Amino acid sequence: MILAALLLVTQVAAQDPRLERLDPDARSAVAAIADSANGVGLPVEPIIQRALEGATKGASGARIVAAVRRLAIDLGTARSALGTSASAPELQAAVAALRAGATPQVLVHLRDVRRPPLTMALSVLADLVASGVPADSAAAAVLALAPKARDADLVEFRRAVERDIALGAPPGAATSVRVNAGADVFTNAAGTPGNPPRPRRP
Amino acid sequence: MFEPEDETVERVIQHLRRPVAIDAGLDARVMREIAQASSPRRRVWPRWSAAAAAAAAAAVLGAVLVARPWAQNATRRADTLQFVLVAPQAASVALVGDFNDWDPARSPMQTAHGIWATALRLAPGRYRYAFLVNGVEWRADPGAPAAKDDEFGTPSSVVTVGGRGS
Repeated sequence: MILAALLLVTQVAAQDPRLERLDPDARSAVAAIADSANGVGLPVEPIIQRALEGATKGASGARIVAAVRRLAIDLGTARSALGTSASAPELQAAVAALRAGATPQVLVHLRDVRRPPLTMALSVLADLVASGVPADSAAAAVLALAPKARDADLVEFRRAVERDIALGAPPGAATSVRVNAGADVFTNAAGTPGNPPRPRRP
Repeated sequence: MFEPEDETVERVIQHLRRPVAIDAGLDARVMREIAQASSPRRRVWPRWSAAAAAAAAAAVLGAVLVARPWAQNATRRADTLQFVLVAPQAASVALVGDFNDWDPARSPMQTAHGIWATALRLAPGRYRYAFLVNGVEWRADPGAPAAKDDEFGTPSSVVTVGGRGS
């Protein structure tokens, strides 16, 4: 009885009608990967979405399966770094950060200095790298701001760096200048936790 | 020398050349549209009237560029985000992403003068998405961070909805 219930739980993906958009071989492979992920407590939905993205974009079954398998592995790495209490959005953002070049140690450090959810901090790290900021600079910047900055502050920081880069600043320099300005603001606001003033726009 | 058909065309042209009477309340209405579009709580597409379409489209575009809702709204738990693509030559644009199973039929975009837009309510998370133009051409969102880990050979963007403000 318990075994039957366990099988039912771990074969959720195989019954997902959305996967019918994949060819039969890819469908069974993706379902197996998703069910395995589900069995070890990883979120299934990101895996399903990656498969659907591939199907909609006309990718081959082999390419879809490879992408899904890689995502499942990265989700596992992210969960190992952030812990079993990490939410699905946090794990997805952590995967983006890892793929951007952040090390698992950066994720562990971020988890230690910032209370959850970490989704925005991890996303900003990944987005900075996508803008051309070296991965180690982006990680250092986010870790420096993480203890005090609100999610909105991190978004504004990312936008400011992107603006500076668009105006011709070297990505690394733009990041360090902006993070120093931001860190000063957040440090000065330590007396009002949770509501630091936002950096003024130039 | 005009042929009879040309005279008809000329009358139409003369008619179209007449100054359009714009009532004094237009400015106030446009500014009200901007204020509504800038509101983080809700954005509503107006029902376009022929006379105000151009002004309202410009107002909405301006409001979106200023508000950048994909960033501004990211501090709320679940919120409405507006996605915009300027594609004057497009016959159709669909928004597809992690939030709608990458199904082009789920989020068709509405157009006003080549400005395609739609609004979605998203829970906190990081979402990959792209615009599908004319059913065949993939475009990333020029106003959002790029998804660098695209494994399928087409451009995508990401939007993150945060779960807290502090």
